Amino acid sequence: MSADAAPEFDADVGAIAAALRAPADACVVVRALAQRHAWHAVVRGVPRPAAAAHDCGAMVTAIVDAGIGYAACADLTREGLQRATDRALSWARACARRGVFDGVAIPRPRAHGIVRRAVEAAPLPPARELVGLLRAESDALRRDARIVHWSASLRVTRTRQAMFVDGVRLAEQSFSFVEPNLEAAAADGGDVQTRTLGGQYNGFCQQGGFDVIERSGLVGGGARVAGEALQLLAAPNCPSGRMSLLLMPDQMMLQIHESIGHPLELDRILGDERNFAGTSFVTPDMFGHYRYGSALLNVSFDPGAAHELAGYDADDEGTPALAVPLIERGILVRPLGGALSQARARALGVPLEGTANARAAGWHRPPIDRMANLNVEAGDTPLEAMIASVERGVMMRTNVSWSIDDARNKFQFGCEWGQMIENGRLGAVVRNPNYRGVSATFWRSLERVGDAASRETLGTPFCGKGEPGQVIRVGHASPACLFGDVDVFGAER
Amino acid sequence: MAARAPSDGDDRDAPLAERFAPLMARVAQCARPGETSAGWFAGERSDFVRFNRGRVRQAGSVERHTLDLRLMRADRQAHESIVLVGRLDTDAARVDAAFARLRDTIAHAEPDPYLSFDDTGGASRSVRAAGAPNPDEIADTVCVAADDSDLVGFWSAGPIARGFASSRGHSHWHESGRWSFDWSIHVPAAGRAAGGFPGEGGRALKATLTGESWSAPALSAAIARSVRDAAVLARPARRLEPGHYRAWLAPRALADLVGMLGWGGFSERAHRSGQSPLARLRAGESAFDARVQFAERLGDAGVPLFQADGFARPPELALVRDGRHAGSLVSPRSAREFGVAANGAADAEAPEALAMAPGGLDETRALAELGEGVAVSNLWYLNFSDRRACRVTGLTRFATMWVEGGEAVAPVEVMRFDDSLYRLLGSELLALGDVAHRIPDTDTYDARALGSTCVPGALVGALAFTL
Repeated sequence: MSADAAPEFDADVGAIAAALRAPADACVVVRALAQRHAWHAVVRGVPRPAAAAHDCGAMVTAIVDAGIGYAACADLTREGLQRATDRALSWARACARRGVFDGVAIPRPRAHGIVRRAVEAAPLPPARELVGLLRAESDALRRDARIVHWSASLRVTRTRQAMFVDGVRLAEQSFSFVEPNLEAAAADGGDVQTRTLGGQYNGFCQQGGFDVIERSGLVGGGARVAGEALQLLAAPNCPSGRMSLLLMPDQMMLQIHESIGHPLELDRILGDERNFAGTSFVTPDMFGHYRYGSALLNVSFDPGAAHELAGYDADDEGTPALAVPLIERGILVRPLGGALSQARARALGVPLEGTANARAAGWHRPPIDRMANLNVEAGDTPLEAMIASVERGVMMRTNVSWSIDDARNKFQFGCEWGQMIENGRLGAVVRNPNYRGVSATFWRSLERVGDAASRETLGTPFCGKGEPGQVIRVGHASPACLFGDVDVFGAER
Repeated sequence: MAARAPSDGDDRDAPLAERFAPLMARVAQCARPGETSAGWFAGERSDFVRFNRGRVRQAGSVERHTLDLRLMRADRQAHESIVLVGRLDTDAARVDAAFARLRDTIAHAEPDPYLSFDDTGGASRSVRAAGAPNPDEIADTVCVAADDSDLVGFWSAGPIARGFASSRGHSHWHESGRWSFDWSIHVPAAGRAAGGFPGEGGRALKATLTGESWSAPALSAAIARSVRDAAVLARPARRLEPGHYRAWLAPRALADLVGMLGWGGFSERAHRSGQSPLARLRAGESAFDARVQFAERLGDAGVPLFQADGFARPPELALVRDGRHAGSLVSPRSAREFGVAANGAADAEAPEALAMAPGGLDETRALAELGEGVAVSNLWYLNFSDRRACRVTGLTRFATMWVEGGEAVAPVEVMRFDDSLYRLLGSELLALGDVAHRIPDTDTYDARALGSTCVPGALVGALAFTL
């Protein structure tokens, strides 16, 4: 197996899945996953020790009547998976007696014959070359004695996953995820400012190979990132007041994620997450007519965007993945709900069309409704025209702080980089820019949507949700967007 | 063919220690002359059950064990994590293969000037057996106790273990059998029917119960108590305007707040690299109230007293004394990099058992002392809005109540706060409760956590609500 190939399973999972014993009225789904990580970093000028991780295991899901149960293990022998099957059946029976699925026709996986190969336009070079690249950027980051912390990092993950239902292979998909980043913290006296390539939590992340690194701007980016940290150090604090707000794609991504993505998750709307991740201000009666944003807002669920971090061909409930609109011309049309959530909503008298978005964070976690690729479609306003239209406002880049209530309504976000806009011109850099608002009204203040030239494909590897907890990859593509009359503020001093 | 009965007879409650001891011994034997081999084990055999509307939403079991292997030779090292299947023959072969790959890797690795590893060895063993109910029993216990209430909750149980072994003579094992039920009882917003889609504006009472010996009656009684206590949430909610409010932060809310200090506040590395929210405390430019004392108290928190570089961790380490900086968590790597003494911190340099000393306020009289203001049970989605000022934003959640005349009179609609911990635990701190409560870490991202936070409640003169 070459270093670049997707990892193999530790056993012939298909053959073993076909031989599993279960009652005739049970449906048994086996989802196997093999994963290999490599992490490279140069931190404050010193390469961190090489670190790799190999993971492989499977989850068996059993469906019996109106009950579902699961059991996951790394033991992919016939005995190991049979033990997991028996345990999953036990849970399914307990769930059938005491579950929330009364009257729900539990859907079976519908995918068939799906084979997806990892997207990798340009292969990654050997580890030594990657570390050399990171070292060069690390050296560029340390351009000034005021840079007190600097790092260049890269995480590469290759994954293969397959799904079998009653022994029949429905889908096999491979992925290659690449997460490059640069970070510089500049300090002077008691002040510190941090600037990154894609956010402190790896906002620039895509599927691919070396092409992702090229698109990220990491090569040659060290000097720019450090220079911007130094600029922030010398900048005044962001002013406070109500003003126009121009959000660039690396903040739009967070805005979409928190105040459109999470509120539209159907399992939240059904109440599943109320003990942990929260509920949603969205209710089923809103779909089809609720004005979520201004008429300029068009949001799509697009798992077919192959380079985007959460591109895939079938979700982890075995539903073939299709691109669909969620918000059209500002009107809410569809939730983020997988096949099981849709069936539950139907049983409650709400027949909602959903999406193929039931996903699991690994072989050891069951699928729940997640975002996948959630994108704002490009408009027709060039960035320069958006800036020219602003009398007084601030442009913000790159998320650094995020907080939103458990119904996904009252939010407060902060960015690394701010720049004043006055009388149609981009002006002084300001630091510690923050803004706050309410989801239900914020999107209605969307005044202009940038054209395709301003659109970027970003995402996050760290979307958290679920009990047990799951951290999953999601993609967000967006143009720059202009909002009117937003509550903006800076730091304490 | 019929599957086995729910109580399926496999040794689900058996400790992991015996099963993996031979493998850990093998890790210690993998070093060749001039090398050091080491392995950090993290494993669990868990049952998970989610509940929604007092019914089972998602139920299952996960058995996952990983071994983070490390090979060192002179000043070079490399890491590789593998997953274990639980059978010695297969796992030993994986360990051997991984060390062979690590040997190749360090042959080409650059020197690591900050490599640090304890060469004195040491052994410890702490095993608390798990005792979990079978699927039917846990489902029945919770659903019957919930009755027709809108209970949403999460059950987890089964053994959790951490182990460490090396060719330098380390052999440590720490295993917990802790079960946990974390739940909330929900009351719909005015105008919304019970059993309908929740939307926003509903309120809930949050509770957590943990234990080692399974007791259905204890869990049933706790759930029934929470259902009774949640009745007060049905009163019409009060909407507050942004402004400053006198507040009682219940222990769980204060645990959420001081948990933010774990984001680099006590990390030597974060201090040295300009990332710490407590930089001004360390510099002496800011201080907490003199009654504020923080320590990392591992000794009675049920967490391992060893770490992955082989060093022992002290049972207690003072971090803030009399409101002023008293110490940091210093990992062996930071010690080498910054030329200071290590104190056994794990590489993350984040507290795992942060303990805040109680004060003098009789907590049974907390609302009476509050008089009029807000009693905050839980906070949610905290983040720094100004890290240098240790200013934190977040929201109220669950049973936050408006208090008048020392009595909780109405639930409060969700409010956003944005305030500095230097103020809340400094100039605005009126009193600390007289009992420090242990709040277990119920985090299950990737794996079940072992830690906890031990804090009292706090009465503050002004909490800044902004939205």
